Amino acid sequence: VTRAAPDAPTRLAEDLAGDPSARVVIQREVAVRWRPSRHSRRLLTLALASLALAILTRRPELAGLAAPGLLLLGTGRITAADGDGAAGPGDGDPRPRTVTVRVKMGAIRIFEGEPGWTDLSVSGVDACDVRWDFHPGTGIEPEGPLTVTVDAPGVPGGAGQEVCVRFRFSAPRWGKRQAGAAELVLHDRWRLTEGRVLIALPALDVFPRPGVQQDTVTLSRLPNRLGEHAARVQGEGAEFAGVRDYVPGDRQRQVNWPASTRRGRLMVNMQPAERSQDVALLVDATSDVGEPGTSALDFGLRGACAAARAHLDRRDRVGVIMYQWGGARWLAPSLGRRQVYKIVDAMLQADAAWSRGSPLARLPRAALPPGALVVAFSPLLDQRFVESLRDLRERGFALIVVDVLNVSPPAPRFGPAGRTDDLARRLWRMEQDAIRFSLRELGVPVVHWDGMGPLDLPLAPYSRRPLVQRSLRPAAASQADGPGERR
Amino acid sequence: VTTVRARIAALLLGVASVAWAAAPPRAGWPGFTLFIAALCVVMGSLRLAMLDVAEPEEALFMSPAERSARSTVLLVRLLPWEEISCVAIVLLEVLHGSRPWHTAVLGVILAGYLMAVHVAESGATASTLLRRHARVLMTAACVLALSAGATLLPASPGAGAAILHVLAAAAVIAAAILILPG
Repeated sequence: VTRAAPDAPTRLAEDLAGDPSARVVIQREVAVRWRPSRHSRRLLTLALASLALAILTRRPELAGLAAPGLLLLGTGRITAADGDGAAGPGDGDPRPRTVTVRVKMGAIRIFEGEPGWTDLSVSGVDACDVRWDFHPGTGIEPEGPLTVTVDAPGVPGGAGQEVCVRFRFSAPRWGKRQAGAAELVLHDRWRLTEGRVLIALPALDVFPRPGVQQDTVTLSRLPNRLGEHAARVQGEGAEFAGVRDYVPGDRQRQVNWPASTRRGRLMVNMQPAERSQDVALLVDATSDVGEPGTSALDFGLRGACAAARAHLDRRDRVGVIMYQWGGARWLAPSLGRRQVYKIVDAMLQADAAWSRGSPLARLPRAALPPGALVVAFSPLLDQRFVESLRDLRERGFALIVVDVLNVSPPAPRFGPAGRTDDLARRLWRMEQDAIRFSLRELGVPVVHWDGMGPLDLPLAPYSRRPLVQRSLRPAAASQADGPGERR
Repeated sequence: VTTVRARIAALLLGVASVAWAAAPPRAGWPGFTLFIAALCVVMGSLRLAMLDVAEPEEALFMSPAERSARSTVLLVRLLPWEEISCVAIVLLEVLHGSRPWHTAVLGVILAGYLMAVHVAESGATASTLLRRHARVLMTAACVLALSAGATLLPASPGAGAAILHVLAAAAVIAAAILILPG
């Protein structure tokens, strides 16, 4: 328990820096600043205006209008000076100078649209009415009342010594968000003064809502590392690949007795080796088109989350590269459940902007292990990203592009679309088709994902059988390197 | 439901106090003061109605509707409308030259208006609040009646008599404060 400075708002978020736990509990004794309430200011205004007009107009009945305000204000002052029997800080004033506040966050990492909550409790406010106000931060939507009032918990029939409230909220879009602030307002018995404590709630990491993907794309050539993908070469896997004649050195447990009985000689089972692969998820954050929540970047991040989960479930090593203006952020491939959260954390830094530096012309080697499968999520609107994809293909990487562009140029806001508008839209579509056609010509599969359905559907042609990684033909390579293709 | 009732009660009491002080309607300064009082009551009620509305965030590209909604919220929360309306209502009463009992009734309505505004604003339980304030409010009502009654007593002509009446009313209020231990 620590004591906060009287004048500074309580910054509990600083205590949570680097705290990876899902639930966070903070307890702290905080100072309360007491001020005249708006109610007392209104009463005083009415009283002063009435008295002033009574004197100016020499009409004594107007002085009577000041009676309710002055009586309440005077009674409140006398009560505060004498004390009314409640526990005070020692000078007879029933208003507490410090209270103990406890903040409990349901989670500091939530997914888009997932409900979150925070429990707030305060103790040491026996004779005061308590009001909690929730001020949600940017991008946080409250679900429920923003204000909760509890009448003096210390009086008979009250809520007890500790006042607990719960505020629920949700975050509709991914990103790093401030949950907001909670304001504790204490009222004295006569509601003439109020004490306020502002508590900054911890920051939230709102993860993109992952899409659905069960099947994974598997390369035909897998690195010699233990995993769960059936390779073409024989090994010690669990799947059945066929039978062959027994040769000295084969293990007895591999003998297939029914086949041996039928053929009259010893036959043994063959199993494929089980290997893992390296997967690099490439997310294009250079352009974010579409409505917030269903934009290309939203779909890209959700698709990348789904792919990361699916591949990590298959014991693949997965990394991520965020291709954005001003450079690229990447996370080297690794294994395990924690890697999902590391990947999402890396993706949360994605920032779609237009004028901050230039993107990389060539993706870093450190983020791309040799022979890795590269799954790119992009609307393919940025020509330099397309060039980077071609460069990857020329470097021999197996590549799949998931096209997440689901919007077309908008129609004119005012009036019908003219012939020029139609022509421009048609040219834009042809250019987009040309970009996708050129990638397919290089042997890069381009599949379209609408962002709503499972990612398995567009990837089905490539997840049913291993993806063959062919080297570029000289003609195609020279075409890609042509003067008209590069910028 | 309680909060909505309190807000409606505040609006009705505000309208009642304005109507009570403005009757009968007159042109000129009383008309202008009536306009100000009515405007402040309406804006105060709007402020109470929009207490739960979070202030819209300022964005780069806001539609005209979003921009006007944000301006409305900011305007409604800009001024202390209830305090201005109280001053305007008392001034309206002065401009009408009403009788003492009329002013005493206005005092009761205004006190109720301010209590209703506080209940609607703070979310306090009205019954608990009124139970706590019952003694003081009853005393205030008695003081109002006393001040009105004292004004009705015949007094000698002259400027000093009116001043003495004001001082007598103030003395009654002070005495009431002193005898109330809380």
